[in-house]
Amino acid sequence: MTANPKGPANMTQPNPTKTGMIDFRGVNKWFGALNVLKDITLSVKPREVVVVCGPSGSGKSTLIRCINGLETIRDGDLVVDGQRVGDPATNMTQLRTEIGFVFQSFNLYPHKTALENVTLAPIHVRKIPRAEAEHAGRELLAKVGLADKVNAYPAQLSGGQQQRVAIARCLGMRPKIMLFDEPTSALDPEMISEVLDVMVAVAEEGMTMMVVTHEMGFARKVAQRVVFMDAGAIVESGTPDEFFSHPKTDRSRAFLSKILRH
Amino acid sequence: MLENFSFRTIVEYLPLFGQGLVTTVWLSALSFVGALVVGIVLCAMNLQRGWLFRAPAKAYIDAVRATPLLAQLYFLYFGLPRVGFVLPELVVGILALSLNSGAYIAEIIRAGILSIPRGQVEASVASGMTYAQRMRLVVLPQAFKVTIPPLLGQAIVLVKDSALLSLISVAELTRAGQLLASDRFMPAEGFLTIAAFYLLLYYGLKGLAVVSSRWLGSAGARA
Repeated sequence: MTANPKGPANMTQPNPTKTGMIDFRGVNKWFGALNVLKDITLSVKPREVVVVCGPSGSGKSTLIRCINGLETIRDGDLVVDGQRVGDPATNMTQLRTEIGFVFQSFNLYPHKTALENVTLAPIHVRKIPRAEAEHAGRELLAKVGLADKVNAYPAQLSGGQQQRVAIARCLGMRPKIMLFDEPTSALDPEMISEVLDVMVAVAEEGMTMMVVTHEMGFARKVAQRVVFMDAGAIVESGTPDEFFSHPKTDRSRAFLSKILRH
Repeated sequence: MLENFSFRTIVEYLPLFGQGLVTTVWLSALSFVGALVVGIVLCAMNLQRGWLFRAPAKAYIDAVRATPLLAQLYFLYFGLPRVGFVLPELVVGILALSLNSGAYIAEIIRAGILSIPRGQVEASVASGMTYAQRMRLVVLPQAFKVTIPPLLGQAIVLVKDSALLSLISVAELTRAGQLLASDRFMPAEGFLTIAAFYLLLYYGLKGLAVVSSRWLGSAGARA
Protein backbone atom coordinates (compact mmCIF):
# COMPACT_ATOMS: atom_id res chain seq x y z
CA MET A 1 0.00 0.00 0.00
CA THR A 2 1.28 3.47 -0.80
CA ALA A 3 1.84 6.23 1.72
CA ASN A 4 -1.33 7.65 3.18
CA PRO A 5 -2.70 10.58 1.24
CA LYS A 6 -2.72 13.53 3.57
CA GLY A 7 -5.71 15.81 3.85
CA PRO A 8 -5.40 19.52 4.51
CA ALA A 9 -5.93 18.96 8.24
CA ASN A 10 -2.49 17.39 8.49
CA MET A 11 -0.91 20.59 7.24
CA THR A 12 -1.82 22.38 10.45
CA GLN A 13 0.93 22.72 12.99
CA PRO A 14 0.94 20.04 15.64
CA ASN A 15 0.01 21.28 19.07
CA PRO A 16 3.25 22.65 20.56
CA THR A 17 2.47 21.17 23.95
CA LYS A 18 1.96 17.73 22.42
CA THR A 19 3.45 14.99 24.52
CA GLY A 20 1.61 11.85 23.44
CA MET A 21 -0.36 10.27 20.66
CA ILE A 22 -3.51 10.61 22.76
CA ASP A 23 -3.69 13.34 25.41
CA PHE A 24 -6.61 13.82 27.76
CA ARG A 25 -6.24 16.98 29.86
CA GLY A 26 -8.96 17.65 32.39
CA VAL A 27 -11.66 16.11 30.23
CA ASN A 28 -15.24 16.15 31.53
CA LYS A 29 -18.36 14.70 30.02
CA TRP A 30 -21.96 14.63 31.18
CA PHE A 31 -24.94 12.56 30.09
CA GLY A 32 -27.62 14.92 31.35
CA ALA A 33 -26.88 15.36 35.04
CA LEU A 34 -24.59 12.34 35.15
CA ASN A 35 -20.88 13.17 35.16
CA VAL A 36 -19.67 10.18 33.10
CA LEU A 37 -16.08 11.36 32.70
CA LYS A 38 -14.60 13.22 35.64
CA ASP A 39 -11.53 15.34 35.07
CA ILE A 40 -9.71 12.74 33.03
CA THR A 41 -6.00 13.34 32.46
CA LEU A 42 -4.18 10.61 30.60
CA SER A 43 -1.43 10.53 28.03
CA VAL A 44 -0.74 7.62 25.71
CA LYS A 45 2.65 7.64 24.00
CA PRO A 46 3.20 6.41 20.45
CA ARG A 47 3.52 2.59 20.32
CA GLU A 48 2.17 2.30 23.86
CA VAL A 49 -0.52 -0.25 24.71
CA VAL A 50 -2.89 0.85 27.47
CA VAL A 51 -5.54 -1.44 28.91
CA VAL A 52 -8.58 0.23 30.47
CA CYS A 53 -10.61 -1.75 32.97
CA GLY A 54 -13.23 -1.10 35.58
CA PRO A 55 -16.75 -2.03 36.56
CA SER A 56 -19.68 -1.74 34.20
CA GLY A 57 -20.78 1.86 33.79
CA SER A 58 -17.46 3.28 34.95
CA GLY A 59 -16.98 5.24 31.71
CA LYS A 60 -14.33 3.07 30.00
CA SER A 61 -16.17 2.81 26.69
CA THR A 62 -17.14 6.47 26.78
CA LEU A 63 -13.48 7.33 27.35
CA ILE A 64 -12.24 5.66 24.19
CA ARG A 65 -15.30 6.68 22.15
CA CYS A 66 -14.34 10.31 22.79
CA ILE A 67 -11.01 9.77 21.05
CA ASN A 68 -12.54 9.41 17.60
CA GLY A 69 -15.45 11.70 18.32
CA LEU A 70 -18.18 9.07 18.62
CA GLU A 71 -18.87 10.91 21.88
CA THR A 72 -18.32 14.63 22.42
CA ILE A 73 -16.65 16.13 25.47
CA ARG A 74 -17.99 19.00 27.53
CA ASP A 75 -14.74 20.60 28.63
CA GLY A 76 -11.05 19.96 28.89
CA ASP A 77 -8.67 19.19 26.06
CA LEU A 78 -8.36 16.02 24.07
CA VAL A 79 -5.50 16.05 21.58
CA VAL A 80 -5.10 13.07 19.26
CA ASP A 81 -2.19 12.83 16.84
CA GLY A 82 -1.54 16.54 17.34
CA GLN A 83 -5.12 17.57 16.58
CA ARG A 84 -7.67 18.83 19.03
CA VAL A 85 -10.82 16.68 19.02
CA GLY A 86 -13.99 18.73 18.80
CA ASP A 87 -12.15 21.84 17.61
CA PRO A 88 -13.98 23.28 14.57
CA ALA A 89 -10.56 23.60 12.88
CA THR A 90 -9.99 19.85 13.17
CA ASN A 91 -11.13 17.73 10.27
CA MET A 92 -12.66 14.89 12.27
CA THR A 93 -13.38 12.79 9.19
CA GLN A 94 -9.69 12.93 8.30
CA LEU A 95 -8.57 12.29 11.88
CA ARG A 96 -10.83 9.22 12.08
CA THR A 97 -9.00 7.63 9.16
CA GLU A 98 -5.95 7.46 11.45
CA ILE A 99 -7.89 5.74 14.24
CA GLY A 100 -9.16 2.18 13.98
CA PHE A 101 -12.09 1.30 16.23
CA VAL A 102 -13.07 -2.27 17.08
CA PHE A 103 -16.56 -2.65 18.56
CA GLN A 104 -17.85 -5.17 21.06
CA SER A 105 -20.58 -6.18 18.58
CA PHE A 106 -18.20 -6.26 15.54
CA ASN A 107 -20.53 -4.08 13.41
CA LEU A 108 -19.41 -5.65 10.15
CA TYR A 109 -21.40 -4.58 7.10
CA PRO A 110 -23.78 -7.52 6.56
CA HIS A 111 -24.29 -6.78 2.86
CA LYS A 112 -20.57 -6.96 2.12
CA THR A 113 -18.19 -9.93 2.01
CA ALA A 114 -15.24 -10.14 4.40
CA LEU A 115 -12.95 -8.73 1.71
CA GLU A 116 -15.40 -5.95 0.83
CA ASN A 117 -15.67 -5.05 4.51
CA VAL A 118 -11.90 -4.64 4.62
CA THR A 119 -11.57 -2.71 1.34
CA LEU A 120 -14.63 -0.42 1.52
CA ALA A 121 -13.07 2.47 3.46
CA PRO A 122 -9.59 2.18 1.87
CA ILE A 123 -11.18 2.47 -1.58
CA HIS A 124 -13.72 5.20 -0.83
CA VAL A 125 -12.06 7.14 1.97
CA ARG A 126 -8.32 6.64 1.34
CA LYS A 127 -8.93 6.57 -2.44
CA ILE A 128 -6.63 3.60 -2.90
CA PRO A 129 -7.08 1.87 -6.30
CA ARG A 130 -9.40 -1.13 -6.02
CA ALA A 131 -6.86 -3.75 -7.16
CA GLU A 132 -4.30 -2.51 -4.68
CA ALA A 133 -6.84 -2.35 -1.84
CA GLU A 134 -8.02 -5.88 -2.61
CA HIS A 135 -4.47 -7.20 -2.64
CA ALA A 136 -3.80 -5.57 0.73
CA GLY A 137 -7.18 -6.78 2.00
CA ARG A 138 -6.41 -10.40 1.13
CA GLU A 139 -3.07 -10.13 2.90
CA LEU A 140 -4.71 -8.69 6.01
CA LEU A 141 -7.36 -11.39 6.07
CA ALA A 142 -4.61 -14.00 5.72
CA LYS A 143 -2.78 -12.32 8.60
CA VAL A 144 -5.80 -12.71 10.87
CA GLY A 145 -6.12 -16.35 9.75
CA LEU A 146 -9.09 -15.94 7.42
CA ALA A 147 -7.51 -16.41 4.00
CA ASP A 148 -10.22 -18.96 3.16
CA LYS A 149 -13.07 -16.62 4.15
CA VAL A 150 -12.47 -13.64 1.87
CA ASN A 151 -15.76 -14.16 0.03
CA ALA A 152 -17.85 -15.11 3.07
CA TYR A 153 -20.57 -12.80 4.34
CA PRO A 154 -20.55 -11.85 8.05
CA ALA A 155 -23.61 -14.01 8.75
CA GLN A 156 -21.62 -17.03 7.56
CA LEU A 157 -18.82 -16.39 10.07
CA SER A 158 -18.51 -17.20 13.77
CA GLY A 159 -18.24 -14.39 16.29
CA GLY A 160 -14.49 -14.78 16.60
CA GLN A 161 -14.09 -14.77 12.84
CA GLN A 162 -16.27 -11.67 12.53
CA GLN A 163 -14.20 -9.84 15.11
CA ARG A 164 -10.99 -10.78 13.30
CA VAL A 165 -12.47 -9.39 10.06
CA ALA A 166 -13.37 -6.23 12.00
CA ILE A 167 -9.75 -5.89 13.15
CA ALA A 168 -8.53 -6.44 9.58
CA ARG A 169 -11.04 -3.82 8.43
CA CYS A 170 -9.41 -1.28 10.76
CA LEU A 171 -5.88 -2.28 9.79
CA GLY A 172 -6.78 -1.81 6.12
CA MET A 173 -6.84 1.93 6.78
CA ARG A 174 -3.24 1.82 8.05
CA PRO A 175 -4.21 3.65 11.23
CA LYS A 176 -1.79 5.19 13.73
CA ILE A 177 -4.01 4.26 16.66
CA MET A 178 -6.24 1.26 17.34
CA LEU A 179 -9.04 1.44 19.90
CA PHE A 180 -10.77 -1.70 21.15
CA ASP A 181 -14.08 -1.49 23.02
CA GLU A 182 -14.51 -4.79 24.89
CA PRO A 183 -13.56 -6.75 21.75
CA THR A 184 -14.02 -10.19 23.31
CA SER A 185 -17.02 -9.58 25.59
CA ALA A 186 -19.57 -10.78 23.04
CA LEU A 187 -17.65 -13.94 22.18
CA ASP A 188 -18.03 -17.53 23.27
CA PRO A 189 -15.10 -18.51 25.51
CA GLU A 190 -13.43 -20.75 22.93
CA MET A 191 -13.26 -17.88 20.45
CA ILE A 192 -11.66 -15.32 22.75
CA SER A 193 -8.09 -16.49 22.30
CA GLU A 194 -8.17 -16.35 18.50
CA VAL A 195 -9.10 -12.67 18.73
CA LEU A 196 -6.60 -11.91 21.49
CA ASP A 197 -3.83 -13.58 19.46
CA VAL A 198 -4.51 -11.18 16.60
CA MET A 199 -4.52 -8.23 19.01
CA VAL A 200 -1.20 -9.34 20.49
CA ALA A 201 0.27 -9.52 16.98
CA VAL A 202 -0.96 -5.99 16.24
CA ALA A 203 0.51 -4.72 19.51
CA GLU A 204 3.84 -6.38 18.83
CA GLU A 205 4.06 -4.55 15.51
CA GLY A 206 4.20 -1.30 17.46
CA MET A 207 0.62 -0.04 17.16
CA THR A 208 -0.55 2.58 19.63
CA MET A 209 -3.48 0.88 21.33
CA MET A 210 -6.12 1.55 23.95
CA VAL A 211 -8.03 -1.56 24.87
CA VAL A 212 -11.07 -1.74 27.12
CA THR A 213 -10.96 -5.30 28.38
CA HIS A 214 -10.85 -7.49 31.45
CA GLU A 215 -8.56 -10.03 29.79
CA MET A 216 -5.69 -9.99 32.21
CA GLY A 217 -3.58 -12.42 30.22
CA PHE A 218 -3.64 -9.99 27.33
CA ALA A 219 -2.85 -7.05 29.61
CA ARG A 220 0.12 -8.82 31.19
CA LYS A 221 1.45 -9.89 27.82
CA VAL A 222 1.39 -6.64 25.86
CA ALA A 223 0.18 -3.69 27.94
CA GLN A 224 2.65 -1.18 29.30
CA ARG A 225 -0.02 0.28 31.51
CA VAL A 226 -3.35 -0.62 33.05
CA VAL A 227 -5.79 2.17 33.84
CA PHE A 228 -8.55 1.41 36.33
CA MET A 229 -11.70 3.50 36.15
CA ASP A 230 -14.61 3.75 38.53
CA ALA A 231 -17.62 6.09 38.44
CA GLY A 232 -16.18 8.13 35.56
CA ALA A 233 -12.77 8.80 37.09
CA ILE A 234 -9.36 7.24 36.70
CA VAL A 235 -8.75 5.71 40.13
CA GLU A 236 -5.47 3.97 39.55
CA SER A 237 -2.92 3.42 36.84
CA GLY A 238 0.23 1.34 36.72
CA THR A 239 2.04 -1.50 35.02
CA PRO A 240 0.01 -4.70 34.67
CA ASP A 241 2.13 -6.37 37.30
CA GLU A 242 1.70 -3.53 39.80
CA PHE A 243 -2.01 -3.33 39.18
CA PHE A 244 -2.93 -6.98 39.20
CA SER A 245 -0.53 -8.09 41.95
CA HIS A 246 -0.50 -5.03 44.19
CA PRO A 247 -3.62 -2.92 43.63
CA LYS A 248 -3.34 0.29 45.63
CA THR A 249 -6.94 1.25 46.26
CA ASP A 250 -9.85 -0.50 47.94
CA ARG A 251 -11.98 -0.06 44.86
CA SER A 252 -9.48 -1.73 42.55
CA ARG A 253 -8.97 -4.54 45.08
CA ALA A 254 -12.73 -5.08 45.28
CA PHE A 255 -12.98 -5.08 41.49
CA LEU A 256 -10.10 -7.49 41.03
CA SER A 257 -11.44 -9.86 43.66
CA LYS A 258 -14.64 -10.09 41.61
CA ILE A 259 -13.04 -10.73 38.23
CA LEU A 260 -10.43 -13.08 39.68
CA ARG A 261 -12.78 -15.20 41.73
CA HIS A 262 -13.61 -17.61 38.94
CA MET B 1 -77.43 -15.23 -12.82
CA LEU B 2 -74.99 -16.10 -15.55
CA GLU B 3 -77.74 -16.72 -18.14
CA ASN B 4 -78.23 -12.95 -18.15
CA PHE B 5 -74.49 -12.27 -18.18
CA SER B 6 -73.52 -10.92 -21.58
CA PHE B 7 -70.05 -12.20 -22.40
CA ARG B 8 -70.69 -11.07 -25.95
CA THR B 9 -70.84 -7.44 -24.82
CA ILE B 10 -67.68 -7.84 -22.80
CA VAL B 11 -65.89 -9.19 -25.85
CA GLU B 12 -67.31 -6.34 -27.85
CA TYR B 13 -65.88 -3.86 -25.34
CA LEU B 14 -62.54 -5.64 -24.97
CA PRO B 15 -60.60 -3.09 -27.05
CA LEU B 16 -61.86 -0.36 -24.71
CA PHE B 17 -60.87 -2.39 -21.66
CA GLY B 18 -57.49 -3.03 -23.28
CA GLN B 19 -56.91 0.69 -23.75
CA GLY B 20 -58.04 1.34 -20.19
CA LEU B 21 -55.70 -1.33 -18.88
CA VAL B 22 -52.75 0.13 -20.77
CA THR B 23 -53.58 3.61 -19.47
CA THR B 24 -53.90 2.33 -15.89
CA VAL B 25 -50.53 0.58 -16.17
CA TRP B 26 -48.54 3.49 -17.50
CA LEU B 27 -50.19 6.18 -15.41
CA SER B 28 -49.66 4.04 -12.30
CA ALA B 29 -46.04 3.47 -13.26
CA LEU B 30 -45.50 7.18 -13.81
CA SER B 31 -47.29 8.04 -10.56
CA PHE B 32 -45.16 5.51 -8.69
CA VAL B 33 -41.97 7.09 -10.00
CA GLY B 34 -43.35 10.49 -9.01
CA ALA B 35 -44.30 9.11 -5.59
CA LEU B 36 -40.77 7.75 -5.12
CA VAL B 37 -39.33 11.19 -5.83
CA VAL B 38 -41.82 12.87 -3.48
CA GLY B 39 -41.18 10.17 -0.86
CA ILE B 40 -37.38 10.43 -1.01
CA VAL B 41 -37.49 14.22 -0.71
CA LEU B 42 -39.99 14.11 2.18
CA CYS B 43 -37.99 11.41 3.92
CA ALA B 44 -34.75 13.38 3.56
CA MET B 45 -36.50 16.42 5.05
CA ASN B 46 -37.98 14.32 7.83
CA LEU B 47 -34.59 12.91 8.83
CA GLN B 48 -33.01 16.33 9.33
CA ARG B 49 -32.21 17.44 12.84
CA GLY B 50 -33.57 20.97 12.47
CA TRP B 51 -37.26 21.77 12.58
CA LEU B 52 -37.07 23.97 9.50
CA PHE B 53 -37.34 21.01 7.12
CA ARG B 54 -38.76 18.40 9.44
CA ALA B 55 -41.90 20.28 10.52
CA PRO B 56 -43.30 20.90 7.00
CA ALA B 57 -42.53 17.31 5.98
CA LYS B 58 -44.32 15.94 9.04
CA ALA B 59 -47.29 18.26 8.52
CA TYR B 60 -47.57 17.22 4.88
CA ILE B 61 -47.36 13.51 5.66
CA ASP B 62 -50.01 13.84 8.38
CA ALA B 63 -52.33 15.88 6.15
CA VAL B 64 -52.13 13.37 3.32
CA ARG B 65 -52.56 10.34 5.53
CA ALA B 66 -55.46 11.87 7.44
CA THR B 67 -57.60 12.85 4.43
CA PRO B 68 -59.29 10.71 1.75
CA LEU B 69 -57.58 10.46 -1.61
CA LEU B 70 -60.84 11.48 -3.25
CA ALA B 71 -60.81 14.77 -1.33
CA GLN B 72 -57.18 15.34 -2.35
CA LEU B 73 -58.00 14.58 -5.96
CA TYR B 74 -60.91 17.02 -6.05
CA PHE B 75 -58.86 19.57 -4.15
CA LEU B 76 -56.30 19.54 -6.98
CA TYR B 77 -58.83 19.11 -9.78
CA PHE B 78 -61.01 22.04 -8.75
CA GLY B 79 -58.41 24.00 -6.80
CA LEU B 80 -55.56 24.25 -9.29
CA PRO B 81 -57.58 26.06 -11.99
CA ARG B 82 -58.58 28.64 -9.37
CA VAL B 83 -54.96 29.58 -8.84
CA GLY B 84 -54.30 29.66 -12.56
CA PHE B 85 -53.12 26.13 -13.32
CA VAL B 86 -55.39 24.53 -15.88
CA LEU B 87 -53.93 21.08 -16.42
CA PRO B 88 -55.25 18.08 -18.35
CA GLU B 89 -57.19 15.59 -16.20
CA LEU B 90 -54.51 12.95 -16.70
CA VAL B 91 -51.80 15.25 -15.37
CA VAL B 92 -53.91 16.20 -12.36
CA GLY B 93 -54.54 12.51 -11.73
CA ILE B 94 -50.87 11.53 -11.87
CA LEU B 95 -50.01 14.51 -9.67
CA ALA B 96 -52.60 13.51 -7.07
CA LEU B 97 -51.46 9.89 -6.97
CA SER B 98 -47.79 10.92 -6.74
CA LEU B 99 -48.42 13.40 -3.93
CA ASN B 100 -50.62 10.94 -2.07
CA SER B 101 -48.48 7.84 -2.39
CA GLY B 102 -45.33 9.89 -1.78
CA ALA B 103 -46.41 10.54 1.80
CA TYR B 104 -46.74 6.82 2.48
CA ILE B 105 -43.50 6.02 0.68
CA ALA B 106 -41.67 8.64 2.76
CA GLU B 107 -42.64 6.71 5.88
CA ILE B 108 -41.71 3.36 4.32
CA ILE B 109 -38.23 4.63 3.41
CA ARG B 110 -37.81 6.27 6.81
CA ALA B 111 -38.68 3.01 8.55
CA GLY B 112 -36.14 1.23 6.33
CA ILE B 113 -33.37 3.66 7.19
CA LEU B 114 -34.19 3.66 10.91
CA SER B 115 -34.15 -0.15 10.91
CA ILE B 116 -30.40 -0.11 10.23
CA PRO B 117 -28.63 -0.74 13.55
CA ARG B 118 -26.78 2.20 15.11
CA GLY B 119 -23.56 0.17 15.06
CA GLN B 120 -23.53 0.26 11.25
CA VAL B 121 -23.48 4.04 11.29
CA GLU B 122 -20.85 4.10 14.04
CA ALA B 123 -18.59 1.68 12.17
CA SER B 124 -18.75 3.79 9.03
CA VAL B 125 -18.25 7.03 10.98
CA ALA B 126 -15.23 5.50 12.72
CA SER B 127 -13.68 4.56 9.37
CA GLY B 128 -13.75 8.20 8.29
CA MET B 129 -16.67 8.12 5.87
CA THR B 130 -18.58 11.32 5.18
CA TYR B 131 -22.36 11.49 5.65
CA ALA B 132 -22.90 10.95 1.92
CA GLN B 133 -20.54 7.95 1.81
CA ARG B 134 -22.23 6.40 4.86
CA MET B 135 -25.62 6.72 3.27
CA ARG B 136 -24.52 5.50 -0.16
CA LEU B 137 -22.25 2.64 0.87
CA VAL B 138 -23.66 1.37 4.15
CA VAL B 139 -27.13 2.59 5.13
CA LEU B 140 -29.11 2.83 1.89
CA PRO B 141 -28.04 -0.54 0.39
CA GLN B 142 -29.23 -2.23 3.58
CA ALA B 143 -32.36 -0.09 3.90
CA PHE B 144 -33.18 -0.79 0.24
CA LYS B 145 -33.55 -4.51 0.91
CA VAL B 146 -36.01 -4.11 3.76
CA THR B 147 -37.89 -1.43 1.83
CA ILE B 148 -38.63 -3.37 -1.38
CA PRO B 149 -41.51 -5.55 -0.10
CA PRO B 150 -43.49 -2.67 1.50
CA LEU B 151 -42.81 -0.50 -1.56
CA LEU B 152 -44.36 -3.14 -3.80
CA GLY B 153 -47.30 -3.27 -1.41
CA GLN B 154 -47.66 0.48 -1.83
CA ALA B 155 -47.49 0.02 -5.62
CA ILE B 156 -50.44 -2.38 -5.42
CA VAL B 157 -52.40 0.17 -3.39
CA LEU B 158 -51.53 2.86 -5.93
CA VAL B 159 -52.84 0.79 -8.86
CA LYS B 160 -56.16 0.31 -7.09
CA ASP B 161 -56.29 3.97 -6.05
CA SER B 162 -55.89 4.97 -9.68
CA ALA B 163 -59.49 3.81 -10.17
CA LEU B 164 -60.55 7.10 -8.57
CA LEU B 165 -59.21 8.96 -11.59
CA SER B 166 -62.27 7.69 -13.47
CA LEU B 167 -64.17 10.35 -11.48
CA ILE B 168 -62.29 13.13 -13.25
CA SER B 169 -62.89 11.29 -16.57
CA VAL B 170 -59.43 9.89 -17.13
CA ALA B 171 -59.89 7.05 -19.63
CA GLU B 172 -58.37 4.33 -17.48
CA LEU B 173 -59.62 0.85 -16.64
CA THR B 174 -62.42 1.75 -14.24
CA ARG B 175 -63.66 4.39 -16.69
CA ALA B 176 -63.97 1.64 -19.32
CA GLY B 177 -66.13 -0.35 -16.91
CA GLN B 178 -68.27 2.68 -16.20
CA LEU B 179 -68.80 3.28 -19.90
CA LEU B 180 -70.03 -0.26 -20.42
CA ALA B 181 -72.24 0.09 -17.36
CA SER B 182 -73.84 3.32 -18.51
CA ASP B 183 -73.95 2.76 -22.31
CA ARG B 184 -75.53 -0.69 -22.11
CA PHE B 185 -76.89 -0.66 -18.55
CA MET B 186 -74.60 -3.58 -17.73
CA PRO B 187 -72.85 -2.67 -14.47
CA ALA B 188 -72.21 -6.31 -13.54
CA GLU B 189 -70.40 -7.00 -16.79
CA GLY B 190 -68.47 -3.73 -16.65
CA PHE B 191 -67.27 -3.90 -13.08
CA LEU B 192 -66.62 -7.64 -12.96
CA THR B 193 -64.42 -7.31 -16.02
CA ILE B 194 -62.35 -4.52 -14.54
CA ALA B 195 -62.10 -6.44 -11.29
CA ALA B 196 -60.61 -9.33 -13.26
CA PHE B 197 -58.10 -6.97 -14.86
CA TYR B 198 -57.12 -5.47 -11.50
CA LEU B 199 -56.62 -9.00 -10.18
CA LEU B 200 -54.31 -9.62 -13.12
CA LEU B 201 -52.28 -6.49 -12.31
CA TYR B 202 -52.18 -7.53 -8.65
CA TYR B 203 -50.70 -10.93 -9.48
CA GLY B 204 -48.22 -9.27 -11.80
CA LEU B 205 -46.93 -7.03 -9.01
CA LYS B 206 -47.02 -9.85 -6.50
CA GLY B 207 -44.92 -11.98 -8.85
CA LEU B 208 -42.48 -9.09 -9.05
CA ALA B 209 -42.31 -9.01 -5.25
CA VAL B 210 -41.55 -12.73 -5.07
CA VAL B 211 -38.86 -12.51 -7.75
CA SER B 212 -37.25 -9.47 -6.14
CA SER B 213 -37.22 -10.96 -2.66
CA ARG B 214 -35.61 -14.12 -4.04
CA TRP B 215 -33.05 -11.99 -5.86
CA LEU B 216 -32.40 -9.88 -2.74
CA GLY B 217 -32.15 -12.98 -0.60
CA SER B 218 -29.34 -14.38 -2.73
CA ALA B 219 -27.48 -11.10 -2.98
CA GLY B 220 -25.68 -11.28 0.33
CA ALA B 221 -26.77 -13.02 3.47
CA ARG B 222 -28.17 -10.85 6.23
CA ALA B 223 -26.92 -11.00 9.77
